[in-house]
Amino acid sequence: MLELLGTIAGNVLSLPGILGLALGMTTRNVFLAAGLGGLVGVVETIIFASFQMTNVDMMELSISVAVGILAGALGSAIRIKGTTV
Amino acid sequence: MTQTNSRKPRPKLLRRVWNWFWSPIAVFSVGFTLLAGFLAGILFWGGFHWSMEMTNSEEFCTGCHTMETNLGEYRETVHYNNHSGVRAICSDCHVPKEWNHKVKAKVMAVKDIYHELVGTINTPEKYESHRLHMAAQTWKKMKQSDSRECRNCHNFDYMDFTIQETRAAKEHQRAIDNSMTCIDCHQGIAHRLPEGYLDEYKRVVEEVTMDMVSKPHKDAAISTKEILGYLSFKETPEG
Repeated sequence: MLELLGTIAGNVLSLPGILGLALGMTTRNVFLAAGLGGLVGVVETIIFASFQMTNVDMMELSISVAVGILAGALGSAIRIKGTTV
Repeated sequence: MTQTNSRKPRPKLLRRVWNWFWSPIAVFSVGFTLLAGFLAGILFWGGFHWSMEMTNSEEFCTGCHTMETNLGEYRETVHYNNHSGVRAICSDCHVPKEWNHKVKAKVMAVKDIYHELVGTINTPEKYESHRLHMAAQTWKKMKQSDSRECRNCHNFDYMDFTIQETRAAKEHQRAIDNSMTCIDCHQGIAHRLPEGYLDEYKRVVEEVTMDMVSKPHKDAAISTKEILGYLSFKETPEG
Protein backbone atom coordinates (compact mmCIF):
# COMPACT_ATOMS: atom_id res chain seq x y z
CA MET A 1 0.00 0.00 0.00
CA LEU A 2 2.76 2.42 0.98
CA GLU A 3 4.64 1.51 -2.17
CA LEU A 4 1.56 2.32 -4.23
CA LEU A 5 1.04 5.66 -2.47
CA GLY A 6 4.74 6.46 -2.83
CA THR A 7 4.67 5.74 -6.55
CA ILE A 8 1.58 7.92 -6.99
CA ALA A 9 3.16 10.78 -5.01
CA GLY A 10 6.39 10.44 -7.00
CA ASN A 11 4.47 10.79 -10.24
CA VAL A 12 2.27 13.66 -9.05
CA LEU A 13 5.40 15.65 -8.18
CA SER A 14 7.23 14.58 -11.31
CA LEU A 15 6.72 14.98 -15.07
CA PRO A 16 3.27 13.34 -15.39
CA GLY A 17 1.80 15.52 -12.65
CA ILE A 18 3.47 18.82 -13.44
CA LEU A 19 4.06 18.72 -17.20
CA GLY A 20 0.77 16.84 -17.66
CA LEU A 21 -1.08 19.64 -15.85
CA ALA A 22 0.77 22.32 -17.82
CA LEU A 23 0.01 20.64 -21.16
CA GLY A 24 -3.61 20.17 -20.12
CA MET A 25 -3.87 23.90 -19.51
CA THR A 26 -3.01 24.57 -23.14
CA THR A 27 -6.26 23.09 -24.51
CA ARG A 28 -10.01 23.13 -23.87
CA ASN A 29 -10.33 19.63 -25.30
CA VAL A 30 -10.36 17.38 -22.22
CA PHE A 31 -9.63 14.21 -24.19
CA LEU A 32 -6.67 15.76 -25.97
CA ALA A 33 -5.37 17.03 -22.63
CA ALA A 34 -5.76 13.59 -21.03
CA GLY A 35 -3.96 12.02 -24.00
CA LEU A 36 -1.08 14.47 -23.71
CA GLY A 37 -0.83 13.76 -19.98
CA GLY A 38 -0.85 10.01 -20.59
CA LEU A 39 1.87 10.41 -23.21
CA VAL A 40 4.03 12.27 -20.68
CA GLY A 41 3.49 9.33 -18.30
CA VAL A 42 4.76 6.88 -20.91
CA VAL A 43 7.75 9.06 -21.80
CA GLU A 44 8.72 9.55 -18.18
CA THR A 45 8.61 5.83 -17.41
CA ILE A 46 10.81 5.10 -20.42
CA ILE A 47 13.28 7.81 -19.40
CA PHE A 48 13.51 6.36 -15.87
CA ALA A 49 13.98 2.88 -17.35
CA SER A 50 17.02 4.19 -19.25
CA PHE A 51 15.19 3.71 -22.57
CA GLN A 52 15.10 -0.09 -22.15
CA MET A 53 11.69 -1.70 -22.32
CA THR A 54 12.92 -4.65 -20.23
CA ASN A 55 13.42 -2.24 -17.32
CA VAL A 56 9.86 -0.94 -17.50
CA ASP A 57 7.75 -1.93 -14.52
CA MET A 58 4.14 -2.34 -15.63
CA MET A 59 2.75 -1.06 -12.33
CA GLU A 60 4.88 2.09 -12.49
CA LEU A 61 3.93 2.60 -16.13
CA SER A 62 0.22 2.23 -15.34
CA ILE A 63 0.43 4.67 -12.43
CA SER A 64 2.44 7.20 -14.48
CA VAL A 65 -0.09 7.08 -17.30
CA ALA A 66 -3.06 7.30 -14.91
CA VAL A 67 -1.53 10.28 -13.08
CA GLY A 68 -0.70 11.91 -16.43
CA ILE A 69 -4.26 11.45 -17.72
CA LEU A 70 -5.78 12.88 -14.54
CA ALA A 71 -3.34 15.80 -14.46
CA GLY A 72 -3.99 16.57 -18.13
CA ALA A 73 -7.75 16.48 -17.64
CA LEU A 74 -7.44 18.68 -14.55
CA GLY A 75 -5.29 21.13 -16.51
CA SER A 76 -7.95 21.30 -19.20
CA ALA A 77 -10.66 21.85 -16.59
CA ILE A 78 -8.63 24.73 -15.17
CA ARG A 79 -8.35 26.18 -18.67
CA ILE A 80 -12.12 25.92 -19.21
CA LYS A 81 -13.04 27.34 -15.84
CA GLY A 82 -10.31 29.93 -15.55
CA THR A 83 -10.12 31.54 -18.98
CA THR A 84 -12.43 33.14 -21.48
CA VAL A 85 -10.30 32.30 -24.53
CA MET B 1 -36.78 42.75 -9.71
CA THR B 2 -34.13 44.77 -7.88
CA GLN B 3 -35.84 44.02 -4.60
CA THR B 4 -35.75 40.28 -5.33
CA ASN B 5 -31.99 40.47 -6.06
CA SER B 6 -31.27 42.41 -2.90
CA ARG B 7 -32.97 39.67 -0.86
CA LYS B 8 -30.72 36.99 -2.33
CA PRO B 9 -28.83 35.39 0.55
CA ARG B 10 -25.13 36.14 0.73
CA PRO B 11 -23.06 33.15 -0.41
CA LYS B 12 -21.16 31.26 2.27
CA LEU B 13 -17.48 32.00 2.82
CA LEU B 14 -16.17 28.99 0.88
CA ARG B 15 -18.39 29.84 -2.11
CA ARG B 16 -17.22 33.47 -2.03
CA VAL B 17 -13.57 32.39 -1.92
CA TRP B 18 -14.22 29.97 -4.82
CA ASN B 19 -15.89 32.70 -6.88
CA TRP B 20 -13.11 35.15 -6.10
CA PHE B 21 -10.48 32.55 -7.08
CA TRP B 22 -12.02 32.06 -10.52
CA SER B 23 -12.90 35.69 -11.25
CA PRO B 24 -10.78 37.51 -13.86
CA ILE B 25 -8.03 39.84 -12.72
CA ALA B 26 -8.81 43.38 -13.73
CA VAL B 27 -5.98 45.20 -12.04
CA PHE B 28 -2.90 43.16 -12.95
CA SER B 29 -1.27 42.96 -16.37
CA VAL B 30 -0.53 39.58 -17.95
CA GLY B 31 3.20 40.20 -17.49
CA PHE B 32 2.77 41.02 -13.81
CA THR B 33 0.67 37.89 -13.24
CA LEU B 34 3.16 35.69 -15.09
CA LEU B 35 6.17 37.11 -13.27
CA ALA B 36 4.45 36.87 -9.89
CA GLY B 37 3.44 33.26 -10.62
CA PHE B 38 6.97 32.47 -11.76
CA LEU B 39 8.51 33.93 -8.61
CA ALA B 40 5.94 32.20 -6.40
CA GLY B 41 6.76 28.95 -8.20
CA ILE B 42 10.47 29.34 -7.51
CA LEU B 43 9.78 30.14 -3.86
CA PHE B 44 7.42 27.19 -3.46
CA TRP B 45 9.61 24.68 -5.25
CA GLY B 46 12.79 25.92 -3.56
CA GLY B 47 11.09 25.73 -0.16
CA PHE B 48 9.69 22.30 -0.87
CA HIS B 49 13.02 20.93 -2.02
CA TRP B 50 14.87 22.55 0.88
CA SER B 51 12.42 21.04 3.37
CA MET B 52 12.81 17.63 1.77
CA GLU B 53 16.59 17.91 1.92
CA MET B 54 16.35 18.74 5.63
CA THR B 55 14.72 15.36 6.18
CA ASN B 56 17.89 13.80 4.72
CA SER B 57 20.15 15.10 7.48
CA GLU B 58 21.61 12.74 10.06
CA GLU B 59 20.12 14.83 12.87
CA PHE B 60 16.64 14.39 11.43
CA CYS B 61 17.02 10.64 10.84
CA THR B 62 18.32 9.98 14.31
CA GLY B 63 15.99 12.44 16.04
CA CYS B 64 13.69 9.61 17.10
CA HIS B 65 14.50 7.60 20.20
CA THR B 66 14.18 4.31 18.32
CA MET B 67 17.00 5.24 15.93
CA GLU B 68 19.62 5.36 18.68
CA THR B 69 20.55 1.70 18.27
CA ASN B 70 21.07 2.10 14.53
CA LEU B 71 23.13 5.23 15.09
CA GLY B 72 25.40 3.58 17.66
CA GLU B 73 26.12 0.65 15.37
CA TYR B 74 26.71 2.85 12.33
CA ARG B 75 29.20 5.00 14.28
CA GLU B 76 31.46 2.00 14.66
CA THR B 77 31.68 1.36 10.94
CA VAL B 78 33.93 2.52 8.13
CA HIS B 79 31.08 4.54 6.66
CA TYR B 80 31.24 6.86 9.70
CA ASN B 81 34.99 7.12 10.35
CA ASN B 82 37.71 6.25 7.89
CA HIS B 83 41.16 7.31 6.73
CA SER B 84 39.89 9.39 3.81
CA GLY B 85 37.41 11.48 5.79
CA VAL B 86 34.52 10.74 3.44
CA ARG B 87 31.33 9.97 5.32
CA ALA B 88 28.14 8.31 4.15
CA ILE B 89 25.22 9.39 6.32
CA CYS B 90 21.85 7.58 6.70
CA SER B 91 20.26 9.15 3.63
CA ASP B 92 23.22 8.31 1.38
CA CYS B 93 22.40 4.61 1.78
CA HIS B 94 18.65 4.71 2.45
CA VAL B 95 17.32 7.55 0.27
CA PRO B 96 17.59 7.36 -3.51
CA LYS B 97 19.00 10.37 -5.37
CA GLU B 98 16.61 10.15 -8.32
CA TRP B 99 13.56 12.35 -7.81
CA ASN B 100 10.85 9.75 -8.47
CA HIS B 101 12.46 7.10 -6.25
CA LYS B 102 13.24 9.71 -3.60
CA VAL B 103 9.62 10.88 -3.26
CA LYS B 104 8.49 7.26 -3.12
CA ALA B 105 11.01 6.52 -0.35
CA LYS B 106 9.88 9.60 1.59
CA VAL B 107 6.23 8.61 1.41
CA MET B 108 7.05 5.05 2.46
CA ALA B 109 9.07 6.39 5.39
CA VAL B 110 5.82 7.64 6.95
CA LYS B 111 5.54 4.17 8.47
CA ASP B 112 8.61 4.98 10.62
CA ILE B 113 6.68 7.80 12.30
CA TYR B 114 3.80 5.43 13.02
CA HIS B 115 6.13 2.82 14.54
CA GLU B 116 7.89 5.49 16.61
CA LEU B 117 4.52 6.61 17.99
CA VAL B 118 3.26 3.12 18.82
CA GLY B 119 6.67 2.05 20.13
CA THR B 120 7.21 -0.98 17.91
CA ILE B 121 10.97 -1.01 18.59
CA ASN B 122 11.28 1.23 21.64
CA THR B 123 13.11 -1.29 23.86
CA PRO B 124 16.30 -3.28 23.12
CA GLU B 125 14.27 -6.53 23.30
CA LYS B 126 11.67 -5.32 20.84
CA TYR B 127 14.42 -3.98 18.58
CA GLU B 128 16.20 -7.32 18.52
CA SER B 129 12.99 -9.19 17.81
CA HIS B 130 12.39 -6.98 14.76
CA ARG B 131 15.99 -6.70 13.60
CA LEU B 132 15.88 -9.57 11.13
CA HIS B 133 12.62 -8.36 9.60
CA MET B 134 13.88 -4.78 9.27
CA ALA B 135 17.16 -5.96 7.76
CA ALA B 136 15.32 -8.21 5.30
CA GLN B 137 13.19 -5.28 4.11
CA THR B 138 16.30 -3.24 3.36
CA TRP B 139 18.08 -6.15 1.68
CA LYS B 140 15.06 -6.72 -0.53
CA LYS B 141 14.99 -3.07 -1.60
CA MET B 142 18.72 -3.15 -2.33
CA LYS B 143 18.56 -6.42 -4.22
CA GLN B 144 15.64 -5.15 -6.31
CA SER B 145 17.39 -1.88 -7.15
CA ASP B 146 20.77 -3.53 -7.88
CA SER B 147 22.19 -1.77 -4.80
CA ARG B 148 21.44 1.59 -6.43
CA GLU B 149 22.32 3.66 -3.38
CA CYS B 150 25.68 1.87 -2.87
CA ARG B 151 26.51 2.62 -6.48
CA ASN B 152 26.14 6.37 -5.95
CA CYS B 153 29.66 6.15 -4.48
CA HIS B 154 30.98 2.68 -5.37
CA ASN B 155 31.20 1.63 -8.98
CA PHE B 156 32.90 -1.43 -10.47
CA ASP B 157 33.98 0.72 -13.42
CA TYR B 158 36.01 3.00 -11.16
CA MET B 159 37.62 0.24 -9.05
CA ASP B 160 41.32 -0.36 -9.45
CA PHE B 161 41.64 -4.03 -8.57
CA THR B 162 45.44 -3.77 -8.54
CA ILE B 163 45.38 -1.72 -5.35
CA GLN B 164 42.69 -3.81 -3.63
CA GLU B 165 43.50 -6.73 -1.37
CA THR B 166 43.88 -9.91 -3.43
CA ARG B 167 40.78 -11.49 -1.91
CA ALA B 168 38.66 -8.36 -2.44
CA ALA B 169 39.82 -7.98 -6.05
CA LYS B 170 39.08 -11.65 -6.74
CA GLU B 171 35.61 -11.45 -5.22
CA HIS B 172 34.77 -8.21 -7.02
CA GLN B 173 35.81 -9.75 -10.32
CA ARG B 174 33.62 -12.74 -9.54
CA ALA B 175 30.74 -10.42 -8.70
CA ILE B 176 31.09 -8.70 -12.08
CA ASP B 177 31.29 -12.03 -13.91
CA ASN B 178 28.18 -13.36 -12.17
CA SER B 179 26.14 -10.11 -12.28
CA MET B 180 26.00 -10.00 -8.50
CA THR B 181 25.09 -6.87 -6.59
CA CYS B 182 26.77 -5.20 -3.58
CA ILE B 183 24.27 -6.42 -0.97
CA ASP B 184 24.80 -10.05 -2.02
CA CYS B 185 28.04 -9.97 0.00
CA HIS B 186 27.99 -6.78 2.04
CA GLN B 187 25.09 -7.27 4.41
CA GLY B 188 25.86 -5.84 7.83
CA ILE B 189 28.13 -3.14 6.44
CA ALA B 190 26.58 -0.44 8.64
CA HIS B 191 24.44 -2.28 11.22
CA ARG B 192 24.89 -5.42 13.26
CA LEU B 193 23.71 -8.61 11.61
CA PRO B 194 20.83 -10.49 13.23
CA GLU B 195 20.96 -14.19 13.99
CA GLY B 196 19.96 -16.36 11.07
CA TYR B 197 20.67 -13.63 8.57
CA LEU B 198 22.08 -15.97 5.92
CA ASP B 199 18.92 -18.05 5.73
CA GLU B 200 16.83 -14.90 5.65
CA TYR B 201 18.96 -13.41 2.89
CA LYS B 202 18.56 -16.59 0.85
CA ARG B 203 14.81 -16.26 1.30
CA VAL B 204 14.95 -12.62 0.16
CA VAL B 205 16.96 -13.60 -2.94
CA GLU B 206 14.45 -16.32 -3.77
CA GLU B 207 11.54 -13.90 -3.29
CA VAL B 208 13.14 -11.28 -5.54
CA THR B 209 13.95 -13.98 -8.09
CA MET B 210 10.34 -15.09 -8.19
CA ASP B 211 9.33 -11.50 -8.91
CA MET B 212 11.92 -11.29 -11.66
CA VAL B 213 10.84 -14.55 -13.24
CA SER B 214 7.31 -13.22 -13.53
CA LYS B 215 8.73 -9.90 -14.74
CA PRO B 216 11.93 -10.36 -16.82
CA HIS B 217 14.52 -7.85 -15.68
CA LYS B 218 17.94 -7.32 -17.20
CA ASP B 219 20.26 -10.17 -16.34
CA ALA B 220 19.75 -10.29 -12.57
CA ALA B 221 17.91 -13.63 -12.70
CA ILE B 222 20.84 -15.31 -14.44
CA SER B 223 23.06 -15.19 -11.39
CA THR B 224 20.56 -16.30 -8.75
CA LYS B 225 21.81 -19.88 -8.54
CA GLU B 226 25.37 -18.69 -8.23
CA ILE B 227 24.41 -16.17 -5.55
CA LEU B 228 22.57 -18.82 -3.55
CA GLY B 229 25.54 -21.16 -3.98
CA TYR B 230 27.86 -18.45 -2.81
CA LEU B 231 25.72 -17.73 0.24
CA SER B 232 25.70 -21.35 1.33
CA PHE B 233 29.53 -21.34 1.39
CA LYS B 234 29.84 -17.97 3.09
CA GLU B 235 30.54 -18.22 6.80
CA THR B 236 31.22 -14.68 7.95
CA PRO B 237 29.99 -11.31 6.72
CA GLU B 238 32.43 -9.22 4.81
CA GLY B 239 33.15 -5.54 5.39
